[in-house]
This record gives sequence, structure tokens and C-alpha cells, in this order.
Amino acid sequence: MDNLIVQMINENQETLKNNWLKEVNLFKDKEIASYSTTLKLSEETDQQFFELLIKHINYHDISKDGTLDQFFDQVLHTGLPLKYLTQGLQIARRVILNMLVEAEMEQEKLAALYREIDSWLDPILNRVVENSSQIWERTVSIQKTALLELSAPLIPVFKNISVMPLIGSIDTERAKLIMENLLNGVIKYRSEVVLIDITGVPVVDTMVAHHIIQAADAVRLLGSTCILVGIRPEIAQTIVSLGIDLSLFPTKSTLQKGMENALEITNQQLISNE
Amino acid sequence: MRIPILKLHEYLLITIQVEMDDQTALQFQEDLLNKIHDTGAKGVVIDLTSVDMIDSFIAKVLGDVVRMSKLMGAQVVLTGIQPAVAITLIDLGISMREVSTALDLEQGLDKLRLELEG
Amino acid sequence: MDIQSCVEVRNEWDIVSARQLGRNMAKELGFGNVDQARITTAISELARNIYLYAGRGKICIEPIDQLGRKGLRIVALDNGPGIREIRKVMEDGYTTSGGLGAGLPGVKRLMDEFSIESTVDVGTEISATKWLR
Ligand SMILES: Nc1ncnc2c1ncn2[C@@H]1O[C@H](COP(=O)(O)OP(=O)(O)O)[C@@H](O)[C@H]1O
Ligand SMILES: [Mg+2]
Repeated sequence: MDNLIVQMINENQETLKNNWLKEVNLFKDKEIASYSTTLKLSEETDQQFFELLIKHINYHDISKDGTLDQFFDQVLHTGLPLKYLTQGLQIARRVILNMLVEAEMEQEKLAALYREIDSWLDPILNRVVENSSQIWERTVSIQKTALLELSAPLIPVFKNISVMPLIGSIDTERAKLIMENLLNGVIKYRSEVVLIDITGVPVVDTMVAHHIIQAADAVRLLGSTCILVGIRPEIAQTIVSLGIDLSLFPTKSTLQKGMENALEITNQQLISNE
Repeated sequence: MRIPILKLHEYLLITIQVEMDDQTALQFQEDLLNKIHDTGAKGVVIDLTSVDMIDSFIAKVLGDVVRMSKLMGAQVVLTGIQPAVAITLIDLGISMREVSTALDLEQGLDKLRLELEG
Repeated sequence: MDIQSCVEVRNEWDIVSARQLGRNMAKELGFGNVDQARITTAISELARNIYLYAGRGKICIEPIDQLGRKGLRIVALDNGPGIREIRKVMEDGYTTSGGLGAGLPGVKRLMDEFSIESTVDVGTEISATKWLR
């Protein structure tokens, strides 16, 4: 960057900082309603932000010194809004430009310095946005996997008996996940019988039935038995009227009936203490 | 390559531990049928725990072996099919519904005993 | 790793080499254990078809990266008799050799993308892709 600007910035650092902090606080007051906790606690961050900018101006471009990048990452990870960073940078641009305007210099010189400032700041802004969208994408993909795994848990209930309660609609992607969780669970818990409970599945159409039949077939290949439970009256009606053949493996209306059946298969009995 | 076949009382036990090429699979089919004939075995357990791939050819050989053994009076149980293998079989459209299965060798033997001795 | 690797298929043992190559590449690319099995099985089906119906040909496997989306592509090539009725061979259970007829429709389900081009008396080219999830 032009030596003149760097020199001016360094000489006027205190004023710049005060102006910058003032505007940043104005912005924060306006936004505080939506981000109250994180923004209130960010005074130290403000100081750090400004110091890093000054440091950055003195050491030139962003790629040579990773500290700004690191700072952005850290800020975004603590849950401060992206707006805080973009506003902070815009405000920095504004206070520096104000300083230049007040310095009463030639129009041409001023215009050149303006451009200098822009070409210094714009890459930083781009970088911030890029960083934040990456973080966001990563978060979304992590949450998506977590959600998918939560959506089809296999629960070992008794010795060699597990239950998989299915809740919500079943599409092809979820069906694949259900199948994998089911089979891995069968191996992990050595389940001789697994009950798939479809009480919470709103619609059982040909596609869903197909996925369930496939899952039951795969469970059988492993050497375990699959019992389909939670067949509500309307589901029985659709299954039959769609001509879906579920006769190849046992089905029961309720989880309780299925469990009785499972205990029988595994030669177990529930003994009451009364 | 030949897959070893062990005899345990009136049962035959096979643990497949090699990557099966077509010749090995067909040779195994022949060896097993001969062994059933020679020993009069009533039950067979084929353990597939170490098998990491079954394509339609091997699936056909296995299905055939089960049906042929049955013709000769021996029940076959397949054990230890891995989740990934089961999923690919289902993708291939091969569900082997007529074949008896169990989680592991021990349970396979239990199953045979139950089926044969009532 | 960016280059494609090919295996000539002339006999039954080449089928084993082709699927071993496929499993190794799938593992290296970071496919999970179920997708590794899917890819290996698909290769085995395609290689066996080459051996059975065309006599010889090759299987090529390559990592792909399209706009950051990574995956693996299998290409099966032969100069065999070709396939007269592609729609028929894509049906479950259709076979001309006493097989299960599960190979081609199976490969289509095992993989994410599938395409087949075949000309009678010229040969067959089948390409199938699996994307990393
Ligand atoms: N590369 C090929 N060249 C010529 N015909 C082929 C080729 N691959 C498959 N076919 C034909 O397609 C049919 C179906 O193949 P596939 O689905 O693999 O089942 P299968 O191999 O069990 O018959 C084969 O029986 C054969 O007639
Ligand atoms: Mg085939």
C-alpha cells in the first residue's frame, strides 16, 4: 500500500480507533436484540479486530500473514454474526476514507488513495465471506449426518432382541441409512430378532413397502429374523389394496405383540415378580 | 485352490476364507456334494464371515449347492454373511429366500440340530 | 492416483484382478465399506460378462472429480458380439447363459449412474459411476 496512507494511518491510529469503535458500537446497539449475548461479550474482540487490521495494513497482503484469517475463523466459531465482520471492515474503510478527506489533499491524489484502500479491503471482505460459507457448509453436512443417524436408531431391548422405531417419511436415501444401521446393529448386538416399528411412519406406499421388504430380506441374509410391527388399520388397508405382498415375513399390529413373538423365537420368557 | 471341508459328527463345516474365483467356487460345489455322498452327512454349515463380496455368479453357485445338497438329503445353513455383502445382494435383486441362514457358525449348528432333531 | 487403471479381461482370474483393483481404488478414495462392496461387485459383474459373452475386453477404473464432487467410474469395454436388445438385458432375470440375469440391472442399482452403448458385431461399452457421499 502507498506509504503515505500507512504513515497517516499509523499517526492517526488513536483517532481512527475511537471512530471505529464508536461506529461498531452503534452497529452493535442496533443488532443487539437479535444477537444479545454474543455481541455484548465482544469488547475484547473489538480491540483485537482493530489491532489486527492495523497490523495487516503495516504488513501488506492477507496471504502473507494468516492471523486475520485465523481471527475470522475464531470469531465465526464463537457464534458472532458474519455481519459483525463485514460491518467492522466497512466501518474501517469509512473511517480511513474520512481521515483522508479531512487531510485536505489534491483531488487526484485522493482518488488514487481511495482506490488503494478499496483494493486492500475488498479481498479481505471476500475472504471473510468465503470463510463463513465454508464453515456453514461444513456445519450443515455434519448436522445432516447426525440427523440421519438419529433418524434410525437400533435399540437392543432384551438379549438378542432389538427394536428399530421408524418415525417420519422414508425416502430412498433414508432407506439406505435404515438398512445400514439395521444390519450393523444386528451384528453389534447379535440380535436374533429385530422388530421394525412403523407406527410413526405416516404413509406406507409401494415404495416404502419395497424398502421395508428389502431391509427384512437383508436382515434374513445375516441370519436374523425381522418382525414388522405397528401396522395400523389404514396401513393394512393400503398394503392390501396396493397388492403389496408382506406375507413372507411376520407382521404384528403392535410392538407388544411383536415382542411376545420375539421372546418366543429366542426362547425367552418375561417372569413377573408378583 | 480348494476349500477345506471339515466333518463334525453328522455335519459338515466349511469356512470360506479365500477370495473365491469361479473355478474355486465350482470345485467347492463338486467337493461338497461328493463329501455329502461319502459321509452321509445330514447337515452342512457354510460360514461366510470372511467373505467380502458375493456377486451373482457366486450367489448362483451357493444357491445351487443348497438345492443340490437338499436333493441328497442334507440341509444347508449359510452363516456370517456380512452387512455390506447382504446389501449388495439385495441391490442385485438376490434375496435367497429359500436358503436358511444364521448369525454365526455356532447358531448355524444349533439351527441344524433343531431342524433335524426336532 | 488421477490416472485411470485398466485390467485386461481374458480369463476367470482376470475377473478377480479387476475387482481387487476396484476395491483398492475405492478404499483409497475414501468410500465406506458398503460402497466398496458395491463397487467391487459391479466390477465383478461387468468383468464376468466380458469374459462370458465377448471372450475378451478390458475394465478401466478411474477416480473422477467434477466441480469438487468426487467419485469413481468403471468403464467396461469389449469388441464382442454386442447386445441386440438392450431393454431386455436390463430386465431382472433375463439371461442367455443360464445365469441369474441379475448382472446388468444389478450394476445399475449398485452404482449411481449407468450407461450402456452396444452395437451388434462391434462391441459393448458400459460405464458406471459411484459418487462419494
Ligand atoms: N459384454 C456383453 N456382450 C454381449 N452380451 C452381453 C454382454 N453383457 C451382457 N450381455 C447379455 O446380457 C445378458 C444379461 O446379462 P446379465 O444381466 O449380466 O445376466 P447374466 O450374465 O446372468 O446372463 C446376458 O445373458 C448376455 O446375453
Ligand atoms: Mg452377468
